[in-house]
Amino acid sequence: MDRDELLRVLRAFETAKLEYVLIGATAMGLHGVVRATEDVDLFIRATTENIDKLRVAFRAAYADDPNVDEITADDLLGDYPALRYYPPSGDLYFDVITRLGDAVTFDTVEAMVTEIEGIRVRVATPAALYRLKRDTVRPLDRQDAAVLRERFGLKDED
Amino acid sequence: MTVQKFRSIEAMNAAPAVPSVAAGFERFVRHCARYWRLAPRTYPRGVIKFRTLEEAQAARRRQARDEASTGRTK
Repeated sequence: MDRDELLRVLRAFETAKLEYVLIGATAMGLHGVVRATEDVDLFIRATTENIDKLRVAFRAAYADDPNVDEITADDLLGDYPALRYYPPSGDLYFDVITRLGDAVTFDTVEAMVTEIEGIRVRVATPAALYRLKRDTVRPLDRQDAAVLRERFGLKDED
Repeated sequence: MTVQKFRSIEAMNAAPAVPSVAAGFERFVRHCARYWRLAPRTYPRGVIKFRTLEEAQAARRRQARDEASTGRTK
């Protein structure tokens, strides 16, 4: 994952006023729990306006990549609540989610705002990351949950 | 918080290290860059849509498997 590329995208999110929250390993990294990852996972608020902002941000970060036009509100608000965007260059990709099952959305993920190099970044709290990961079937998520639990002294009721 | 004080080694060992957000970010991107150098990938490009997170995770597993079996490098 290229540092400058990631900062450029986070800055584009801020400039576009995208409503998002980072989850996954990138969010864990911001909390000091470091493991390698190739992707940046984010929930976005599920509105047509916000999906427009996502396209604006990706176009700004990736020099008008025409593939960005394939990101549509019809899909993300309809049958395809998750998409993966591979930018035209670079060594990271983005998993963008509008909802997880029936219960988890941008609004239900507890988040905090932090700052990196002057960029305001909205990131899920350790407890929220723990809740997202603890009940999943993927072994890596369970490992992440165990690390978060220990590092932040979390309990099941958190 | 730049200095943490402890009454015992046990208390110190039990205390979680609390890096600043900036330090966490820098460690994270350095770690990912090392990982990439050790195991470079070739990604498809563009947008792929999924009906569920499980579909997305399955696609990621497939891609990793294909990378491993073909031994492609960047």
